[in-house]
Amino acid sequence: MSVSIEPGFAAAPVLRDVLPPRRERGRVMLFIYRHPTIAVGGLLLGLMVLIAIFAPFLHTVDPTALAPARRTRAPNAQYWFGSDMLGRDIYSRVLYGARVSLLVGFLVAAVSSLVGLTIGLCAGFIRILDTVMMRVMDGLMSIPSILLAIAFMALIGASVQNVVIAISVAEIPRVARLVRGVVLSLREQAYVEAAIASGTSTFKIIWRHILPNTLAPIIVQATFICASAMLAEATLSFIGAGTPPTTPSWGNIMAEGRALWQVKPFIVFFPAVFLSITVLAVNLLGDGLRDALDPRLAKRI
Amino acid sequence: MFAYICRRVLATIPVMAIVALFVFSLLYIAPGDPAAIIAGDQASPADVDRIRMALGLDRPFLVRFLAWLWDVLRGDLGVSIFTNLPVTKMIGQRIQPTLSLMVITLTLSLVTAIPLGVVAAWKQGSWIDRFSMIISTAGFSVPVFVIGYLLAYTFALDGFELGIGFFPVQGYVPIEQGVVPWFMNLLLPSIALGLVYMALIARITRATMLEVLSQDYVRTARAKGAGQHSILFVHALKNAAVPIVTVVGIGFATLIGGAVVTESVFAIPGLGRLTVDAILRRDYPIIQGVVLMFSFLYVLVNLGVDLLYTLFDPRIRY
Amino acid sequence: MKRRTLLTAAAATLAAPRLSLAQNTRVLKFVPQANLSSMDAVAGTQYVVRNAAMMVWDQLYGTDGSITPKPQMCEGHEVNANLTVWTFKLRDGLKWHDGEKVTTRDVIASLKRWMVRDTMGQRIQASLDALEAIDDRTFRFRLNKPFAKMLFALGKSNAPVALMMPERIASTDPFQLIKEYVGSGPMKFNTAEWVPGAKAIFERFEGYQPRSEAADWSSGGKRMNFDRIEWIIMPDISTASAALQNGEIDWWENPAADVVPLLKRNRNINVDIGDPLGNIGSFRMNHLNPPFDKVGVRRAVLMALSQADYMQAVVGEDTNLWKLCPSFFTPGTPLYTEVGGELLKGPRNYDAAKKMLQESGYNGERIELVVPTDVPITKAEGDVTADLLAKIGMNVNYVATDWGTTGTRRASKAPVSQGGWNIFHTWHAGADCINPAPYTALDAGGDKAWFGWPKSDKVQSAIADWYAAPDLAAEKAAAVAINQASFENVSYIPTGFFVQYTAWRKNVSGVVKAPFPVFWGVEKS
Repeated sequence: MSVSIEPGFAAAPVLRDVLPPRRERGRVMLFIYRHPTIAVGGLLLGLMVLIAIFAPFLHTVDPTALAPARRTRAPNAQYWFGSDMLGRDIYSRVLYGARVSLLVGFLVAAVSSLVGLTIGLCAGFIRILDTVMMRVMDGLMSIPSILLAIAFMALIGASVQNVVIAISVAEIPRVARLVRGVVLSLREQAYVEAAIASGTSTFKIIWRHILPNTLAPIIVQATFICASAMLAEATLSFIGAGTPPTTPSWGNIMAEGRALWQVKPFIVFFPAVFLSITVLAVNLLGDGLRDALDPRLAKRI
Repeated sequence: MFAYICRRVLATIPVMAIVALFVFSLLYIAPGDPAAIIAGDQASPADVDRIRMALGLDRPFLVRFLAWLWDVLRGDLGVSIFTNLPVTKMIGQRIQPTLSLMVITLTLSLVTAIPLGVVAAWKQGSWIDRFSMIISTAGFSVPVFVIGYLLAYTFALDGFELGIGFFPVQGYVPIEQGVVPWFMNLLLPSIALGLVYMALIARITRATMLEVLSQDYVRTARAKGAGQHSILFVHALKNAAVPIVTVVGIGFATLIGGAVVTESVFAIPGLGRLTVDAILRRDYPIIQGVVLMFSFLYVLVNLGVDLLYTLFDPRIRY
Repeated sequence: MKRRTLLTAAAATLAAPRLSLAQNTRVLKFVPQANLSSMDAVAGTQYVVRNAAMMVWDQLYGTDGSITPKPQMCEGHEVNANLTVWTFKLRDGLKWHDGEKVTTRDVIASLKRWMVRDTMGQRIQASLDALEAIDDRTFRFRLNKPFAKMLFALGKSNAPVALMMPERIASTDPFQLIKEYVGSGPMKFNTAEWVPGAKAIFERFEGYQPRSEAADWSSGGKRMNFDRIEWIIMPDISTASAALQNGEIDWWENPAADVVPLLKRNRNINVDIGDPLGNIGSFRMNHLNPPFDKVGVRRAVLMALSQADYMQAVVGEDTNLWKLCPSFFTPGTPLYTEVGGELLKGPRNYDAAKKMLQESGYNGERIELVVPTDVPITKAEGDVTADLLAKIGMNVNYVATDWGTTGTRRASKAPVSQGGWNIFHTWHAGADCINPAPYTALDAGGDKAWFGWPKSDKVQSAIADWYAAPDLAAEKAAAVAINQASFENVSYIPTGFFVQYTAWRKNVSGVVKAPFPVFWGVEKS
């Protein structure tokens, strides 16, 4: 990409650069160079989102249509990724499955961030609530998250919405703690103390000073939650306590195919690859965002 | 120091109380009638009522909670609905495999991840750094069961025909029956389970080591001509210990969650399998018992971690 | 410890992995079809419980391969001409696992408990004047109505099985599970080592006196060649398959059809059909709730239902494993008949079914289809049904749940809006469908019938005819009438007949085809 200027005519011979010529890049390339993980992660994730949105137009068939007479076919011209135990087209199921995984990931990230943010702000600002809420959060965090989600799913039954709730409940305390920590450290800052002293309303303080400062860590945290929620959805479905089996999700396809992984590995293989790539993409994105948005955090992990 | 330990230990009591309340109320509102399940296919409504009374399922919430809590404190977790065995006995029967799995996983992860993280930090930007970070990111992204099946296929069934099918593919051998078969049975599950954990520890080790290595006293040590090994493993690692230990403690939850899946994949008769079975069968007393026990374990581990801080860093006094 | 002992100990430890690989010929490692959660085959009806209980407890009579009752704990019997007084004598030398002698007190207590739970037992109870002990080894039934099927009732292997237990255990409430597992069968149950959900251990009972005849199913001499039988629960198909290939287990009761080709390729593994009587899949509708309270709607589904779809979904394409079964009775058994099952044959006609649905008054009600997704067979059936109902224009709500919850929910007679249901699936062991006696699902007595509560007087009177039938010809005639009436009423829809494989290592011999895994006579080299 380097552009060297060849002089057409010369009054004097061009001096050799003391420093090597500065490479000029487009802004895009510069961004990629500075934040390669964001670029790669974002690109892969974008691809998955496109696949999810345009699944019906990508040469798919009805992902729930049965054909028991043509079951467990290896990948071929008709079934690109093969067919499962009920003769459903795995290619179509995997593409449509992207919708569920991404939806669960994004929704859990959004729900737990919002609820966690609210709880964290309340706890950080309202002294009476702080102890109670944080004890409850501590209690919730003491229950290993998958166990909590499994117990919840057993309670409220299988549906995508319930998967989102179950996983969110386990993630909320983490966000709440993070936010509370930020709030407490910000409260000690001189400018916040000044604002409090000058009688600015609590709401205004939160809006002006606190929120903007919590945004960066929350966004970073939300990306990681998104990734772990997608894995949790797959795990729940794998155990049989996740998305209802009528909905094609990567977890479900793998759960159904796992009985046959020795003989028909392709049933598990394709959703596993898609899931891993997507989670990897989100993780890379998270890493990159952390480095870019919050250099202090970057040192931590 | 002693006061700190006391305070820290006492602080776990409200946490455990909240866990207990939560676990209890979660299952209190559960749909499905265990009495009807026990009564079986041909029972009359009167039979179902009789069983419900016998189980005390007709009493109000608070009475049931307090009765249950009192029993728990006396070490009585109730009787399994399906097998009629005491829950404590069922948990006792299955605790060894799960603990063994966790101990091996923990050891394996620490032994591989910490050196990996240290080397990665030391040779920052080198191929070994990049490689180990790629591996660790991948460790976060592949579901435990996929790794488990892949390992079993390669190292137990020799599916790729490499002549390396040395390991048993499933099951558990109690340690009393020989350390070697015990270890052989748990190695593959431990690797599958430990990969995420390893990734986590390797990353935190690398990150904290980078920070520590840029500190003045490390430069001083270097300037004084201390050996590379001594700098890395004595000066730096010791100071990086606190964040590492914290992550080990927090990551323990991942380990517990992963054990549920790993035990299913490798047919290990541990607490994870018990949990999944119990939830599928709505065996309330077992679900309560297991969640409570795992949570207790988790709280205990983190208590241990907090107490370890004072060892690594005598300055810490909260 | 001396150094040598230390070395020996170390060597033993190193050698242990080989021993652990099921090498010991006196120990059999068996993977049952499902988890063993209880041991009561009188109060419970699970097949897996029955299979375990058959080792620990013995029966007065057994049945052989031709389903003929043969004396087992009894020496023999005497019966009067009009079949109302049945006298039995126990054979000598019968002992419980705790060393006590088996007496008629125990037997009578066991029979009383069994008669409360079993449908044939209830028929005996209904006409029972007395069940009395004559001495320690002789006892007698006095009935006020003839009962021709007495020996079959005592000897059948369908749960509830008439298993003999010591009096103290047999006096347990018939609706509660027994808590002590002492029997007189060839194996003792090791309660201490039992880990529900993981393993169950059976140990040889030294005091068992097998009969002198050769063993045939549950009749004859039950000779055990193992000191220990270990049941290892493996819910994961691939894990079990891998363990069998690796020689970590000896026998796998129900390998999934899909992994069978893999097992067949292994030189060390035998694969064969386990139970020749197989299973009949069941599509069960609730006759109380609309729209399936209308016979026309039930018949419309029957017209569209393709058994081939169900069977392929359940056991795969291997046609050795399934066949169409336009009948309520087990193919290959004497009462099998296809009369009345015409609607299930031939090409499926969705348009005709749609038309019939409209004519019979289906108003687009939402159908609650309850699917236990933790049981592969019911899950496959449920998936096919969801697809089928959608094809004929029904509005389906697929309720994914587990078997335990289904068990609760199917017992509800409430309307759908109050937690009721419309459809669930299950399957019946072929051994239960050979005749109406053990066949609870066939009963069409309305409120008193099995879940779904079909009501048809025609079916009921035909069943009564079977009980009264003096010979096989009359039984067959009754069976034709039952089949016809049941299809007319669409009591339930059979989704086809399927058998399952069983697989064992080649060093195990003596595995026989039977409706339950028979452990006596099996050997390992």
